[in-house]
Amino acid sequence: MSAIKLSRRGFLKATGLIGGGLLIGYVATPDGNSPAVIPGDGAMAPNAFIQLTQDNQIIFYSPRDEMGQGISMGLATLVAEELDVPVDKIQVEFASVHDDYRHPEYWVQGTGGSSSMRVHYLPLRQVAADTRALLLTAAAMDLGVAAESLSTEDGYILSNGTGHRYSDFIATAQTLELPSETPLKAKADFKYIGKDMTRIDALAKSTGTAIFGMDIAVPDMYYAMVSRSPVAGGTVNNLDDSAARAMSGVTDIVRIDSGVAVVATSFWKAKKAVAALNIIWDQPDLANFSNGDIRADYQSALESDRGTTETEGSITEGLSKASMQVRRDYWTPYLAHTPMEPVNAVVKISDGKAELWAGTQSPGVARGLVARHSGLSVDNITVNSLFSGGGFGRRAQLSHIAEATQVAVATNKTIKLVWTRENDLQNGWFRQASIMQLHAGIDAEGKVTAWDATRVGGDLAPDTLAGVLPGELPRTPKLLNDLMLSATENLYDGWLIDSGGVEGLVSDYDFPNKQLRHISVNHGLPLAAWRSVGHSFTAFAKETLMDELAEMAGLNSFEFRRRNLQNNPRLLGVLEAVEQGLKQWDIPAGHHIGISTHGSFQSFVAQAAEVSIQGSKIRVHRVLCAIDCGAVINPDIVRAQIEGGIMYGLTAALYGDIEIENGAVKQSNFHDYKILRINEAPAVDVLIVETEQAPSGVGEPGLPPIAPAVANAVYQATGQRLYSMPLTLA
Amino acid sequence: MIEFILNGKVVQTDDEPDTPLLWVVRDTFKLTGSKFGCGIAKCGACTMHIDGSAQQTCVLPITAVAGKTVTTIEGLGTPDNLHPLQQAWVEQGVPQCGYCQSGQIMSAASLLTDNPNPNEAQLEAAMERNICRCGCYPRIKQAILSVAEQGQSGAVQLATPVAAKAPEGIQS
Repeated sequence: MSAIKLSRRGFLKATGLIGGGLLIGYVATPDGNSPAVIPGDGAMAPNAFIQLTQDNQIIFYSPRDEMGQGISMGLATLVAEELDVPVDKIQVEFASVHDDYRHPEYWVQGTGGSSSMRVHYLPLRQVAADTRALLLTAAAMDLGVAAESLSTEDGYILSNGTGHRYSDFIATAQTLELPSETPLKAKADFKYIGKDMTRIDALAKSTGTAIFGMDIAVPDMYYAMVSRSPVAGGTVNNLDDSAARAMSGVTDIVRIDSGVAVVATSFWKAKKAVAALNIIWDQPDLANFSNGDIRADYQSALESDRGTTETEGSITEGLSKASMQVRRDYWTPYLAHTPMEPVNAVVKISDGKAELWAGTQSPGVARGLVARHSGLSVDNITVNSLFSGGGFGRRAQLSHIAEATQVAVATNKTIKLVWTRENDLQNGWFRQASIMQLHAGIDAEGKVTAWDATRVGGDLAPDTLAGVLPGELPRTPKLLNDLMLSATENLYDGWLIDSGGVEGLVSDYDFPNKQLRHISVNHGLPLAAWRSVGHSFTAFAKETLMDELAEMAGLNSFEFRRRNLQNNPRLLGVLEAVEQGLKQWDIPAGHHIGISTHGSFQSFVAQAAEVSIQGSKIRVHRVLCAIDCGAVINPDIVRAQIEGGIMYGLTAALYGDIEIENGAVKQSNFHDYKILRINEAPAVDVLIVETEQAPSGVGEPGLPPIAPAVANAVYQATGQRLYSMPLTLA
Repeated sequence: MIEFILNGKVVQTDDEPDTPLLWVVRDTFKLTGSKFGCGIAKCGACTMHIDGSAQQTCVLPITAVAGKTVTTIEGLGTPDNLHPLQQAWVEQGVPQCGYCQSGQIMSAASLLTDNPNPNEAQLEAAMERNICRCGCYPRIKQAILSVAEQGQSGAVQLATPVAAKAPEGIQS
């Protein structure tokens, strides 16, 4: 997930134009000069990531957040490899907030964009290798032997057949400078990288002992729930809280920025009291729009001459070389993330200090939000990061942390603020809806000569910035933030193309003449990156059209794609892996295959879906997926992420639809926002095409190809081309 | 005052009678393995055993379990003494975010108590009440079938305070 919802490119463009110097200057020293890790008695912490205790325990501080994607296991594996300590002997803790833990490419301390393994693969190994080298030097001095005579095994230094604990040499190591550029292990020497290993968090997560934000209880804690405007951005016109105030266990009812908060002695009492509030809301413009209006607005924008255009080659020339051409329009709806754990936060403020407990994709922003709304400096705020019960982009938006802090300040109480599932679906953030139009021409050889793409819809980048700025710049006045945000909104309306709305739409294939037009139409529904971001809808348009073009060209789906992938060997590699893999499949009568291929987050994926039609229902039986994500750290986690990406994408392909009615979200819980269940889940075969490239994304790239693969299979089964999601048979 | 058996111990609570069992277990008795996911019994994250069979507890008022036996994930097995399903969950790398897994395992344990050797359709029918947003379904299926095939599901009876039926053909 694009952690901060903003592509790197989009972000640099945005900040560059609104005063990068100011932002960078401000964030350089939010922590003062204190180190990230203060080691315990007799322990050493040679850097921000590793502590070696006097009991020879290695503690690894994971700079990235664990939402289920297995990153704490993956990063611990890198440390284990170069330190020569078994992975399961390493204690993993979630890092505090500190400059040393900022994402090496993004601006904030956050997690997303399927980037964590890619950006940490070498730096984290280097830190661990340097730490091991330091210990070897210290051991050589203490033992009076040459460093070259020493080796390591499983957390011990071996000298003349005797094993010494790493921790035996802490005292001497403390006197030495940490080396740099220690040579890293060669691939042939890997003990842990590239091997299937049980996830370190599997035991806690199978016994109910893993602690999520929802599970936190601290002394004197009260529960808060908030009634928010059904239409995003609405404000309280009139509040009658007399009935709620009279209810058992209710201690406070306070107004906060997002609505009215009820504080009570238990979750259940707070929930009942919120239902008893009587609020009249002032409605924003969004209240004038329903789904049909939004779609009509997109359609008329599409037919206008508005938009920002980027061109390579010439569409006119490309079409002149085409023997056939086709133009299609696609609709993809708003979607909700619905992580299993609704967002929540515990905030405690006392004696000029504040403490936050929450699982987020952005603990740095979270800390800043507590600072902004408590008035405390970030140095006085402790963030306890916890397991997140799913992220998918939703936990990069942290309004619940601002809410919890505002309630804690207003009531002078320690507050646990919980969103219900209804809040999650009706008051949250959503994947953008889009109309996409593709116009393509092919020549007699089955080569695409022109690819002209337009996307109409809302922009992600301004909402991303709106989520990040107040927390990342906690002391900047709201007015200044608002100015920066409105400047950004204007930039994306006619100047810049928000990559989160178009990524993947004109990519992957050779396309000698291509054009991308973007038209921003924003109605005010809050938008957030949703697992695989723009790819979650662009792949659907691109890959279903490629299938249609293949048929027009009289070529099979593999051969047509192959002819247009001459400059993309890694995507061609996974496509051919699926082509070969399919030959092993027995396809039962009445079952049909559709394929697709799509690159995202620097990884390359091809899929085949086996589908049958039962009445009006689309049933997906099996999926074959090949991925090239470069070097593989833990194949089992790669497989798990691909399986999960496919299931998440199938929910969207078959059911996902957030509908707006007079500005409010119509769906409210899992009875009307349907999620794929086990009886609808296909078997998944994953082929990992390992290459010598650096590792790239796995959390998101498995998702984009599944909807078009299923749609293409539906065409094989029924002769119906589907141009809208969710996929619905006529 | 309402009294019931929670993981083998008699407990009493004066929580308001309409309070769902989930919140009594989580907030009053501080057992947080059972999760809140939807609040309308549509996701299964709150699944516990009531007198041995799986039930969603986020809408079950505490009065409904007066005098009954309630087992949560904490009562099914512990990190030092895993239930065979928990062992399978770990070995097969089932959990991703992990939030739904307590409910998944409780539903699976109830299934295997009732039907120690389910076929795929029976498994799906029993497990379709539990949503997993991370999409661990293929592994959940595989883990349950591996326990069923090993004939270990008899242990469900041992770990559950009140076993409704003795699984057939299983040596405990």
